[in-house]
Amino acid sequence: MHLVQEGDPAAFEQLYDRHGGASFALAYRMVGDRVTAEDISQEAFLSIWRSRARYQADRGSVRTWVLGIVHHRAIDALRRNLVHEKRRSSAEGIEERHEAPEREQTDVEAARREEARHVRDALENLPEEQTRVIELAYFGGFSHSQIAEMLQMPIGTVKGRMRLGLDKLRRSLAAVAA
Amino acid sequence: MSVERHHSQEENVGAYLLSALTEIETRAFEKHLEECPVCRDEIDRLRPAVDALPRSVSPVSAPPSLKQSLMAVVSEEAREARGEPRGEGFARCMREKLAGLSGSMAGMQPGVAGAVASVVLLAGIVAGGAGVYAVTQASDDGGSGGGSRIVAAKVDKTEVPLASGSLVLSDRTKDGAVLRVHGLPTLDSKSTYQVWLRRDGEVISQSPFSVGENGEGAAAVTDDVENAQAVMITREPAGGARAPSEKPVLSVRL
Repeated sequence: MHLVQEGDPAAFEQLYDRHGGASFALAYRMVGDRVTAEDISQEAFLSIWRSRARYQADRGSVRTWVLGIVHHRAIDALRRNLVHEKRRSSAEGIEERHEAPEREQTDVEAARREEARHVRDALENLPEEQTRVIELAYFGGFSHSQIAEMLQMPIGTVKGRMRLGLDKLRRSLAAVAA
Repeated sequence: MSVERHHSQEENVGAYLLSALTEIETRAFEKHLEECPVCRDEIDRLRPAVDALPRSVSPVSAPPSLKQSLMAVVSEEAREARGEPRGEGFARCMREKLAGLSGSMAGMQPGVAGAVASVVLLAGIVAGGAGVYAVTQASDDGGSGGGSRIVAAKVDKTEVPLASGSLVLSDRTKDGAVLRVHGLPTLDSKSTYQVWLRRDGEVISQSPFSVGENGEGAAAVTDDVENAQAVMITREPAGGARAPSEKPVLSVRL
């Protein structure tokens, strides 16, 4: 990362090779369209390249930083309504779009698929109503008031389920890691 | 900080972490965070759960064109950042492309070859490292360099799945711009690629151009790009057209 911050394109290419697949997959899962996902990934990585000096190692891993930027870009795209109407009409599909079939490649990828399965298991083991609000917010890009309207429940209930669900997810992941 | 204010904001912790607050609510919550150590601690406590969410998605291979277009922009910006003389990196890039183009001009119809020659000439001029442009530049600003901006292109993947491109804009928009492409299919002798500029609802014809056997090419946007909304490429009959006859296969939003 030090070399990336110094503006080394080869180091940036390595960073892309390491995190590009996860980034594209996240964007694709959120917007459900490969072309839009590609645009989002490209915008995100250009933003990462141009703001590389701002990365602070003490605030989290490179992967978390990269995926956070991709997530924000995808949320922006969703809220610009590029694809939200389509998503709104099929919100029930959000949790099903986990991955496109893909050939297995490297040990690193295999480890990441395993990690993905662990996190997904933890998420799916939450009470269903908590999983639902978390997925609609994080992957669907919906605001709390939109979710309240969709699920026909008070906003306070939605916010409460988000917080409770995150707390349980944190504990569940910590238990697996321990 | 009042207790009431804390109680009114603490329920937003989960929604904030999940980006589910509105912009106004987000700003208010972040202001509250500055003065509330309890909510800050709660954010820190729950953040690992949110950071884990993107990891629930299994990686998939991104399209190769994504890396190609991304690295084209990154490499160019890195060259500029290294302080190479203005346009030198780009000019070198253009020379490489022109070498590829010259081969593809051999079998062209005279009109198209002339048009491509114009593109080549203009591209060389706009590249800024040499020739007429350098003299003009020196007289305008004492020979100091200047920046340029690179904007990645959006590609119609259903028509040209392997293509990528970027537009290099001079700081002085009157100097026009150069559109660089990779991975475009070569066309037969009856067709050509053509560049268009969209400004205030009007679509203005720019140069026809072709790509080399490696799918690479470059074309000049000779009109002032200031206030333009987009630069686009379509496939047209050899010699070019007065108006686009199809949806753009590649476009750059400005």
